[in-house]
Amino acid sequence: MTVDPNAATQSFPPSPPAHARPRPARYLVPALVAGAVAVTLGVYGKVHDPAGTAFNLAGFNSTGAVKSWLATVAFAFALVQVVSALMVYGRLPGPDWSAALHRWSGRAAFLASVPVAVHCLYALGYQTHETRVLWHSLLGCFFFGAFSAKMLLLRSERLPGWLLPIVGGLVFTALSIIWLTSALWFFRTFGVTT
Amino acid sequence: MKRPGPLLTLLAGLLLGVFLLSLNATKGTKSTSAETRKESPTPTVSPTTATPSASPSPSPSRTPVPDASYAGRTDDDSSAVALTLRDGKAIAYFCDGRNKESWLKGDVTDDGTMKLTGKDGSVLNGTLREGERIRGTVDIDGGHYAFTADRAKKPSGLYRATATVRGAKVDGGWIVLTGGRQVGILNRDGTPSPAPMIDPETGAVTVDGQQLTARPALP
Repeated sequence: MTVDPNAATQSFPPSPPAHARPRPARYLVPALVAGAVAVTLGVYGKVHDPAGTAFNLAGFNSTGAVKSWLATVAFAFALVQVVSALMVYGRLPGPDWSAALHRWSGRAAFLASVPVAVHCLYALGYQTHETRVLWHSLLGCFFFGAFSAKMLLLRSERLPGWLLPIVGGLVFTALSIIWLTSALWFFRTFGVTT
Repeated sequence: MKRPGPLLTLLAGLLLGVFLLSLNATKGTKSTSAETRKESPTPTVSPTTATPSASPSPSPSRTPVPDASYAGRTDDDSSAVALTLRDGKAIAYFCDGRNKESWLKGDVTDDGTMKLTGKDGSVLNGTLREGERIRGTVDIDGGHYAFTADRAKKPSGLYRATATVRGAKVDGGWIVLTGGRQVGILNRDGTPSPAPMIDPETGAVTVDGQQLTARPALP
């Protein structure tokens, strides 16, 4: 069993002064990758001619419904993320496996969000004709950039203790607004349908 | 120590994304669903609705082709086509709900065949079968689409709204299909985008915060 990444950064004391000189690559690489991911998605969405259609899942009437439900699943796992992160950091009482819960609920949320994003980018593209759509497009790209940064930062040890919570919080906030501007809007507009 | 877990997570997401994208790219046009197929909340019929005349009443010009509207989808299910016939003339609208659309006009011959043309060079060839449906093809943007449009009963049919909203010339077209589904495109100064839903009862639609009324399109 590996040491939990969050617990490690939290419990390890700051490195001695000899090692304190920050290695910029530790932050630069995740930041650059995040920017590259977000910009690539945005440019693809903008340049690619939206197909309007994409394959559907059996049992659903519209891709809008499929996406809304997948997004809702991702959002539910994201809520688990917040709670389990608080457990990992000791802000909430939690079981031994709260770290594993955090890792796996995060993976589930991420993987559930990927098909939604693929459909958005392939069929709809990056659009700005409405405030809701603009924020959704913008944050959709931002989310995958921020998530990439979070994953890459996890690979570094001896990060400032506040960094992961901040980046994780950004990822969660982005996903929340994405969900509010898409799935919630869909359910309110078309009803809670499949 | 480098942890492989987060990288594997990213990699899995990337692979899933690429896999889905290739799936879309290879069979995107054969899809059974589209974002453009929207369920209208309550597509009930109101007696006051002003929709294209669907009654085969004897028209002044005594054409054997009844005045009526027709709406349906293309065979590949990617787009919708609607037509309104009146006095031997027809207007048709082809729309994929995203960015491909065309308004076509032309005459209907007494035997029910029609060849309609659009300003963008698109062509619709159709034949009215038993007064109940129009079967035909649309050639647009190098694409060739076969379609079947069934007789439309209100509030389904073909709607159009033109206005100036905040300095932009807005031109919207909507096809309301049987069952209340809508396919529409809104042009702002020539830039197409998916149209907001209209209320098929009243034609009311809100564009960029301004309320417009879409009216039945007539030839």
